[in-house]
Amino acid sequence: MSLQQITANDLQTGSLENYMANQGGAFGFKNRIINGAMVFDQRDSGASVTITNTSSRTYTIDRWSSYGTQASKFSVQQNAGAVTPPTGFTNYLGAVSASAYSVTSGDIFNINQNIEGYNFADLAWGTSSAKPVTLSFVVYSSLTGTFGGAITNSNNTRCYPFSYTISATNTWTTVSVTIPGDTTGTWGTGNGTGIAVSFSLGMGSTYTGSGNAWTGSTILAPTGSVSVVGTSAATFYITGVQLEKGTVATPFEYRDYGRELMMCQRYYTKLDGTNNGLWWQAYSASGQNFAFNITNPVTMRTQPTGAVYGTWTVTNCGQPNLGGQSTTQTSIYVTATSSATTAFYSSSTSGITLSAEL
Amino acid sequence: MTYQLFQETLLNGSSMINKVIKNSNIIITFAPDNTDYRQFKIDIASGAQLTDANNNVMTSEQANTFLATLP
Repeated sequence: MSLQQITANDLQTGSLENYMANQGGAFGFKNRIINGAMVFDQRDSGASVTITNTSSRTYTIDRWSSYGTQASKFSVQQNAGAVTPPTGFTNYLGAVSASAYSVTSGDIFNINQNIEGYNFADLAWGTSSAKPVTLSFVVYSSLTGTFGGAITNSNNTRCYPFSYTISATNTWTTVSVTIPGDTTGTWGTGNGTGIAVSFSLGMGSTYTGSGNAWTGSTILAPTGSVSVVGTSAATFYITGVQLEKGTVATPFEYRDYGRELMMCQRYYTKLDGTNNGLWWQAYSASGQNFAFNITNPVTMRTQPTGAVYGTWTVTNCGQPNLGGQSTTQTSIYVTATSSATTAFYSSSTSGITLSAEL
Repeated sequence: MTYQLFQETLLNGSSMINKVIKNSNIIITFAPDNTDYRQFKIDIASGAQLTDANNNVMTSEQANTFLATLP
């Protein structure tokens, strides 16, 4: 709709909203990806992480995970290589290949975000009313060619491998891919994974196949996709990732900083102990547990995994332990070593983490 | 990685095992939707070592029998 076509009637209450909705657009929570601009890195604070775990995904920048069937073939870091981000962005996720590794048939190397079913259910996938989605992102690599990725359900029994081209090295390139809604298969609509988006850094032949079509096989990239891990020191940087309803890639949805952080905290929370931010003190009898409660910053996706990190300053007790975690509360306790005033407090290098990742 | 069962003593004196400690300091609750909990069950079923709340190593059979009681 051009400016010249807008009339007073168009501006009656709800008319523009209805127009946008009919075009498949959205107002509010347009982008189903969380931290698509790679702003938050609660776990690593910008440090590089080598992906060594071959049995499960490694979470790095908030909401983003990486996986490799072979250990130490690539690393992930917020703003790796310190290149200038694309216009409109201040951060990116950077993956760097550690060697020139030739993928074998069963290999998987990728970067992924699992999207919670509650944030995806309205697209009605798995039904005849399934809505199309458009994935857009800005990408930069030391390699050129046809790269790959995939949209999948939670157990990879429905996959849509997609391809995109990077034609110039070390140049930010905007990409958009429209994916038809899947009318079959099982797609989560609760607090588990609804849909997953992944970008391949190297994929074995077991997991490659025809691109840009739905399949019931576990195909995570089109055949012939560029293998980033195949070239030593090759880089793959990405930001501005957006997954939205409809067939048109619209401008990236910038959510306010606080809201986006809270969205990340549903899945991972770092209770920062800086400036003695976590401090408890009371008189306790010898041998007694001395427990306190913390309200989580936001309601977490499920009962989280908790950990106390760093060395706390303690008086009359050992290091603190977590007593339990619910979606809204966390308990922490110490055991008094004598009948006296007992205290424990945190610092900039100690605190509590809670993880409820998908 | 190591896993140790965590026995919680309640104020009424009863005790219950409702979480497991991974690598000495990561507390994983027995919540079916928790990704780490699901991975714990996979790891134990694959032969990872589980110790009881008193730090006694459980046999594979004991560990799998316990696994079968979990949600």
